[in-house]
Amino acid sequence: MRICIIGLGAVGQGVAQVFAMKRERIKKDYGLDLNLVAAADSRGAAICGDGLDPRLLLETKRNSGKVANYPEYGVPGISSLEVLDGVEYDCLVEVTPTNIEDGEPARSHMLKAMKNGKSVVTSNKGPLSLFFRELVGTAQNNDVEFKFEASVGGAMPIINFAHETLSGCEIKSVYGILNGTTNYILSRMAKEGSPYYQTLNEAQELGIAETNPSQDVDGIDAACKVVILANSIMKRDVTYKDVDVEGISRITPESIALAQKEGYLIKLIGEASPDSLEVSPRLVREGSPFSVDGTMNVATLKTDLADDVTVVGRGAGSIETASAILSDLISIWKARG
Amino acid sequence: MRLNLVLELLDVPGQLLDALNPIGRLGANIVAIIHQRDVKTERGTIPVQITIEGDKETLDKVLESIEESGIQIIQVDGVLRKEKVTTVLIGNIVDQDVKDTVDILNQLEGVMVADLDLKMSDQPERSASKIIIEAEYGRKKDVMRKLKELGSLKGFLVINEV
Repeated sequence: MRICIIGLGAVGQGVAQVFAMKRERIKKDYGLDLNLVAAADSRGAAICGDGLDPRLLLETKRNSGKVANYPEYGVPGISSLEVLDGVEYDCLVEVTPTNIEDGEPARSHMLKAMKNGKSVVTSNKGPLSLFFRELVGTAQNNDVEFKFEASVGGAMPIINFAHETLSGCEIKSVYGILNGTTNYILSRMAKEGSPYYQTLNEAQELGIAETNPSQDVDGIDAACKVVILANSIMKRDVTYKDVDVEGISRITPESIALAQKEGYLIKLIGEASPDSLEVSPRLVREGSPFSVDGTMNVATLKTDLADDVTVVGRGAGSIETASAILSDLISIWKARG
Repeated sequence: MRLNLVLELLDVPGQLLDALNPIGRLGANIVAIIHQRDVKTERGTIPVQITIEGDKETLDKVLESIEESGIQIIQVDGVLRKEKVTTVLIGNIVDQDVKDTVDILNQLEGVMVADLDLKMSDQPERSASKIIIEAEYGRKKDVMRKLKELGSLKGFLVINEV
């Protein structure tokens, strides 16, 4: 399968690294050859019909900051849309940064690929939480596969899990800790009784929270995931604007102490249920599946036949997220041959 | 017929006697009592399991009489009669009139504020309060919705259970 990656940030680099690690194994196990024919970042691309070397690609990106410096096959200045027009490929891996304003440039990348008859795998929450129906509809009309397991919960299986493993069940509602950064901050505050801003600063120093932490701590990231889950596994038709969002910046050590006295922890919970679509700090029982520490993600799916099913996994990290993208690629291969 | 009850008693002398009194007086029989004074609920009350026997009319009167004496029946034949709703509010609850907040909740049918715990902060708007509400079975969602309304009215961050 000829693969084109757009976006070489943490996730894109993770995908390249996973290709390097797993290419032989996957060829042997599934007969799928992960042939990376193009990789583009915002300043150019590396293109080679016979396949790029993912290790060399990573080295080039890390050392020089741009893939266009890839020996012999680098193309400086070419735009990602031009790459999609000019390269022969089968599947696009769209891993540019999430843009929650208008979903661009990822939305255009994905639509172009689909209209050209290419399958798409993405981790990008922006277009999924703003234009879900458009993207799914375009994929269907053009008879291509569209997979986005990596967009929710990183390595934690949830979307394909609901569609495939729980395929006979109706998913009535989903509750989850869908953002690792806020879970890390709240866990530390509970353990150490430290105030919010101090804990946030520590998380930033450790690289767990970003310099501009708003997407995480204001609940935006979790809200996007709620939208994706509601649309994809509960067959709703909602967008980011339909979610009630409250972040964690108002949480105090005093409130956590009061909750703990009663056997509860405070966690940032995303809920997609018939009554409500919201992200807010909630009380969860100590010792319950939701009392996970650190950057872990957890989600409970309430179903009609199987009752509650809970999944836990690493919600972030480049290799972890790339593992979900790899699963999507393999399942497209299995479906399409 | 027989009924298995779980009552919630305050840890003060005479409570068990008060609870048992109407059973004999109204003509029902006590089949079993499990009372462990050192096992307490989070609120410091003592759960007592009692099995009583009698005809339906008598047993109905017994239940009524026990509740009238102010003793909580939390389970009848394994079915919970009350649900506990715990919530934490962040905001200037003292400035926003604690009594009014409690009154608004108590005005809901079948709902009672059972416990209130305050933790003040040097910045009043960062103060936290924990409220435990007892609601009739099935009212939990209503109570949580009302709490959210109260929060937006008074500028509290409401942290409800999942």
